[in-house]
Amino acid sequence: MELDETGDTNASAGRRSAGPMEFERLALPYLGDVARFARSLTRDASRADDLVQETFLQALRGWHTFRPGADIKPWLMSICHHAFLYIAKRDARYVEAPEDDPELDSLATARAHNVAYNSGIGAIIDQMDLGPALDRAMGALAEHFRGVVVLVDVEGQSYEDAAAILGIAVGTVRSRLFRARRLLQDMLFEYARDAGFETARAPIASASARTSRRTSTEPLPAKGREDAT
Amino acid sequence: MSSSELPDAAPTAIDCLTAVRRLWDYLDGRLSVAAHDEVEAHLAVCAKCPPHFTFAERMKRSLAERTGTEISSDDATRLRDRVRGALARFALEGDSEE
Repeated sequence: MELDETGDTNASAGRRSAGPMEFERLALPYLGDVARFARSLTRDASRADDLVQETFLQALRGWHTFRPGADIKPWLMSICHHAFLYIAKRDARYVEAPEDDPELDSLATARAHNVAYNSGIGAIIDQMDLGPALDRAMGALAEHFRGVVVLVDVEGQSYEDAAAILGIAVGTVRSRLFRARRLLQDMLFEYARDAGFETARAPIASASARTSRRTSTEPLPAKGREDAT
Repeated sequence: MSSSELPDAAPTAIDCLTAVRRLWDYLDGRLSVAAHDEVEAHLAVCAKCPPHFTFAERMKRSLAERTGTEISSDDATRLRDRVRGALARFALEGDSEE
């Protein structure tokens, strides 16, 4: 579908309506990047598509604010993330990011690892396929943490580029990222604990026909994360 | 990166606490050369800390491999058409409002 109502090239008549055409020409090539980002954020194809459409509509609406010659991709990604958080807030799943000492999260990450190995699930962790477990953990991660992990760890962007997209300070990227990684690691250990629990009780469960096991696809409640400190 | 440094610049010995506080900065390559070398030197002699770094690195690497959210070309085409349609509608409505 073309925006052919602006087909004239007369500068004076087409000046204003050339905007949408120019927008489409410059912005649409990044649709794939935005779509991938949206999928990583929402973890859901249908919600991602809605988010992509919302992103491009908002971008067109704000097109007059875009500085000619500026980099359009981070601008689109920024709008996308903003819209994502807006939807998350509207759906009341948003929790404000705590601003702590990021190095404490590094420390807590190492300590949690220590605790996990001391509790005897080291072998399970070592054999665990982290990919699917991380997908599940990412889905359970609070929205404001997800963006920074997607940008820095999955997409490999610099703290500085992520900060520009997310509209936050570089220091906040660092603190959110460290906290997010710590939470992800905690979830991985929790899954490993569950797996160990399953394995250990499997013969008993089959004998006693107890069926109260947690299904493997169910997201974990955010319990027990704070005792890593 | 530290291999090109002069060998006489021996890093200061740091303890486990200091080393693990630098875990993510170290893995992200955001430490100063001196701080980086201190961590490396600690990891070379410490029995407790290296597994934490190894696991954190493994998790980071697994995340980097998570780019598997590629979108099929059918989905991409469908999404592109949908967005272009929405943009066209918006442009028309926008024009009519002006």
